Amino acid sequence: MIRVLIAGGLIITGLYVLATTTIGIFRFSTMLNRVHVASKCDTLGALLVLSGLMVLSGWSVYSLKLALVIVFLWLCNPVASHLIARAEVRTNPNLNLICDFIDATKESEGNSNGDN
Amino acid sequence: MNDELKSIWLKFFNWVMGNGPRPENEVLPPEPPPDLPFTQKPHDKFSRFHEATLKERYNQWLEIHGLHIFSILYSALSILTCLVIVVLLLATVAELPPFGHERNPANNEVIRRYVEHGWHETGAQNIVAGLILDYRAFDTFGESSVLFTAAVSVLMILGNSRSSKKYKFKQLHVYRNDDTILRGVAVMAIPVILMMGCVVVINGHLSAGGGFAGGAILSTALILCANAYGFESVRRFFNERIFIVSSSTALMIYALSKGYSFFTGANQLHSIIPKGVVGNILSAGLILPLNICVGLIVAGTLYGFYALFSEGDI
Repeated sequence: MIRVLIAGGLIITGLYVLATTTIGIFRFSTMLNRVHVASKCDTLGALLVLSGLMVLSGWSVYSLKLALVIVFLWLCNPVASHLIARAEVRTNPNLNLICDFIDATKESEGNSNGDN
Repeated sequence: MNDELKSIWLKFFNWVMGNGPRPENEVLPPEPPPDLPFTQKPHDKFSRFHEATLKERYNQWLEIHGLHIFSILYSALSILTCLVIVVLLLATVAELPPFGHERNPANNEVIRRYVEHGWHETGAQNIVAGLILDYRAFDTFGESSVLFTAAVSVLMILGNSRSSKKYKFKQLHVYRNDDTILRGVAVMAIPVILMMGCVVVINGHLSAGGGFAGGAILSTALILCANAYGFESVRRFFNERIFIVSSSTALMIYALSKGYSFFTGANQLHSIIPKGVVGNILSAGLILPLNICVGLIVAGTLYGFYALFSEGDI
């Protein structure tokens, strides 16, 4: 009974996070904000939902597999979001109109004088 | 003898090239009559006292209104074609048997045969693998050769940038593979992905998966490696030559072994391929090597597409 309650709480919290981030993806206006929100959605929301399922199934191979899924998501999702954001920073020439940022890539390109 | 042959060959050659003697009753095309010195040429369009002929007026009218009329006709014809196809397809749907009915033509003795005798006849625990790689192996062979042909044609069209440097496209954005975060994750992820792909390929006859799925997983490992460390590091162990050689070898092995198996099966001959115990890794006859062949082709093709479309070279 307690296990079901804990699991239900975790899953409902995860669903709340997923719902808010999904609304946020549509509400935010710039690309970088959206990437930020989408990465939150996949890390925290998926973590909460999957850990709720793990609590629900107890000690078994099933929860071990779910733990591996969590590890995989936490490994890959931030990197993917980071790469998308980096592509946006590198390819959008009007980015400094939207937000303040220090163009580290251009500075390093100026120092290394275009090694590619 | 030799001279005779030579003369016959010469005759044939002359006949092919049209050098032979002209036939006596040859009809030549009539020569055009020579230009008369005072032939009246048609008036210039902008000359002063020129009345437009009917043809010229028609051409003018066509120039002004032709495109409009053509577009109207085009859309009308396309709508008509769409309507005809829609009506035909709907009529076909109306003729189809009801879904899930037990007397449907899909519920025939073939399904029963697969389900009841699949284990015994193919030796594969995964009935789907036994189906696509044993009963219907030539279908899968066609799919793999379609993939290979597509990759080779893309290679023919796009893959010549190394030989002709001057046609290399100018890149809009400098593409650099120096991301520390991606490299750190790729070090951990690539071995796991490779192992997963190999497991899916090799266990194709025991569990879900098989050559296509495993090959796709293997190609994602290659693509991740290319993104993290650059295409040069992938080219060290997987270049164009290795791609061509491995894919065509896999296709050849597939065709020959499955051809042998079908030949012996159809003629009730004794086949030297053992079935093995159902459930072992080394079982199910030809399905394991065929899975490996398909996996090689799919992995190479998917990575080849990625490399060709992003770099123009494998």
